[in-house]
Amino acid sequence: MTRFVPLAAAVLLAGTLPLQAQQATTPDTQQPANGAAEDPSPTEDAAVSPPPEEQATEEATADGAIAAAQPPREVGSDWPYWGGDAQATRYSPLDQITPENVGQLEQVFTFHTGDLPKGTAEGKYSPEVTPLKVGDDLLMCSAMNILISVDAATGEENWRFDPGVPNQAIPYGATCRGVSVYSNPDAAEDDACATRVIQGTLDAKLVAVDVETGAPCEDFGENGAVDMWQDIGERVPGWYAVTAPPAIVRGVVVTGAQVKDGQAEDAPSGVIRGYDAVTGELAWAWDLAAPDENRNGPPEGEVYTRGTPNMWTTAVADEELGLVYLPMGNSSVDYYGSNRSDAENEYATSLVALDATTGEEAWHFQTVRHDVWDYDLGSQASLIDYQGTPAVLLPSKQGDIYILNRETGEPLTPVGELTDLPKGEVEPDFISDTQPVSEWHTLRKDPLEEKDMWGFTPIDQLWCRIQFRRANYDGFFTPPSTDKPWIQYPGYNGGSDWGSVAVDTDRGIIIANYNDVPNYNRLVPRDEVTSKPINEMETGESGGANAEGAADPQAGSPYGISVNAGWRNDLTGVPCTRPPYGGIRAIDLETGETLWDRPLGTARRNGPFGIPSFLPFDIGTPNNGGSVVTAGGLVFIAAATDNLFRAINIETGETVWSTVLPAGGQANPITYEVDGRQYVMVSAMGHHFMETPVGDEVIAWALPEN
Amino acid sequence: MSDITASPANPPGHETSWGVKILGWVCVLFGAVILAGGVWLIFLGGSWYYGLAGLGLAATGVLLNRYMMEAIWLYLVVWIGTVVWAWWEVGADWWAEVPRLVAPTVILILVLLCIPALRRHPSKL
Repeated sequence: MTRFVPLAAAVLLAGTLPLQAQQATTPDTQQPANGAAEDPSPTEDAAVSPPPEEQATEEATADGAIAAAQPPREVGSDWPYWGGDAQATRYSPLDQITPENVGQLEQVFTFHTGDLPKGTAEGKYSPEVTPLKVGDDLLMCSAMNILISVDAATGEENWRFDPGVPNQAIPYGATCRGVSVYSNPDAAEDDACATRVIQGTLDAKLVAVDVETGAPCEDFGENGAVDMWQDIGERVPGWYAVTAPPAIVRGVVVTGAQVKDGQAEDAPSGVIRGYDAVTGELAWAWDLAAPDENRNGPPEGEVYTRGTPNMWTTAVADEELGLVYLPMGNSSVDYYGSNRSDAENEYATSLVALDATTGEEAWHFQTVRHDVWDYDLGSQASLIDYQGTPAVLLPSKQGDIYILNRETGEPLTPVGELTDLPKGEVEPDFISDTQPVSEWHTLRKDPLEEKDMWGFTPIDQLWCRIQFRRANYDGFFTPPSTDKPWIQYPGYNGGSDWGSVAVDTDRGIIIANYNDVPNYNRLVPRDEVTSKPINEMETGESGGANAEGAADPQAGSPYGISVNAGWRNDLTGVPCTRPPYGGIRAIDLETGETLWDRPLGTARRNGPFGIPSFLPFDIGTPNNGGSVVTAGGLVFIAAATDNLFRAINIETGETVWSTVLPAGGQANPITYEVDGRQYVMVSAMGHHFMETPVGDEVIAWALPEN
Repeated sequence: MSDITASPANPPGHETSWGVKILGWVCVLFGAVILAGGVWLIFLGGSWYYGLAGLGLAATGVLLNRYMMEAIWLYLVVWIGTVVWAWWEVGADWWAEVPRLVAPTVILILVLLCIPALRRHPSKL
């Protein structure tokens, strides 16, 4: 019933994007002084812009408004950015470890952060942390935002700084995916905080400490912290939290925040803010519903526009173009859209490119129209060269992979369009009957059929078949329903989630791990909803341990939401659909063709009623966390729920080494070098939603020393 | 396995074979559940397999309870039909075959193990 239209329409659509962008960036009278002289047209601006350092320094020295851009950092012996290099390719030029010798890897050290759940945090830990390696040190945060520096060769602790995040600040999971570093080119080398570690915390603070000592940077905000609750509104712990490392570009720290899903339409704003990396002062704000009015913050006594789509994941930035690329999510009420504003509809589930020094929009590219499926863009985009054009590679939870022109947002690979999609009965006027899809590559599988139902016996399989037939399901983009449940496939976990993809830029191979699981959902009429939004709960009452959306109130809309994430059989806990539930794939960057594709994750830890089966077969489990690719020809990845960390031959897709982790490896690994020795590292800290055991370890492996 | 609990006081061939009885009732129970769910599925527009297989399994159970050798033949038909249907649905996708083939094959083995007991017992019609 849905068909692909050859993409004249999409190309036309794409052609309008820069136009919209220009309209949206009409010069504002309240523009910060430093941006005043610039042409508002993003393309021209980019074309004529001087080299980055020069320009940034110029700006900084001209009016002193913004800190200077830091010199770029190289990936290799260091892992200086959350995504590896500044382009977030997760590709390392290190080649000491190869498919031939990887079998000799031995554990060098294991470091315990000491941060394990206590009291009300029990069952809510999902640290997801990826350390940075800068100089001799590993720089990381723990689940509750304790900043730690560790010797990268020995695993000995250099220092730690605990910002004292309370348990009640945990939104849905205690997560800190990582930190960012900034070196101030205007500071003398031995100045305090000449190089600083910056993180966003669960209680929505931006914290900066000295990389050498861990002492808070006195020049940054108040005693080294900036309160991001400023101008957000009623302060409700857990409603507004930062879990992703900020992007630092042209001396500006750019961050969004996670607004806890499914609570209320009247929720904290999804505003994106840029802060001066030295002083912590607000450089700009991008409030998508009032971009000009609130660029320097809302007027006295007001707050940023409430309930707008947020960015809970990580941005990537192009220091040279001066653009930062924001993967936006949805408004807090994910599954009902009729009350959303035009601005929300325009930017939700879009990649938005902002000028990093002014906060003005350059362009945006939307991946779902009128999203009522919680298909937030969860992956960090990667900056690549695509057939000679500077491009940004964007994976999505629907599994589509887009490649866009970095300057204009125009698609460089074909974008298709689904038409005549069902509009459902709940809000047919809101649901879009067309949606974009990537015709270049998608990780998405064919729609489900009754025969895809699964179980361990004919009885549970039969029960799932009955559920399948009782639900509304018209394939991809089946609209929400309330009379019956509806099947959402792929579910909100992806496709590609925050682990993002890795790109071997030498071999021209994209490595994408993905989930392949549906959700079984139902809109719950208001009078049947028993849960309360987080702002109406007593302190400490917040449940939080539930899977996201399991029973969310969506206050303000006519419906609450019930999500059976992964569509598990209510009796046995066994998934209702056949394996695999997750895979990993190599894609040719030139052609978009699949080079190899295989299930990711063995059945060893999974079985009915939660009993481990110890089966060594690659069943393909749900996974969370990304991979690292190396010049040595290896893909390193944990992510799956089997608690294995493995190396895969990038040419063949074969697992050439694996080891059992002491806890779930739901984090992105890294690789680095100290004194000529290559290390690989991943944290084993578990994940409540992935149901893997909790831990506090960061583990390093290397080849034996001769 | 079938007649270890047979009472020597009863005339030969007339003692209760508890193994057969238990398996018979297990088949009746699971057969009834699968039949009921299968009928529901048929009404929902789904596969007819479960309704038919449930009926076959329940009938096998009834025949076992009456010590009738026809139970073996009936279940063989059910099992072979199951294999053909499973192959038609998912082919060599072995994970997908797990719910389709494992439990029915376990039942098949148990049913076959009843043959000696059924041979000794006169059928109860």
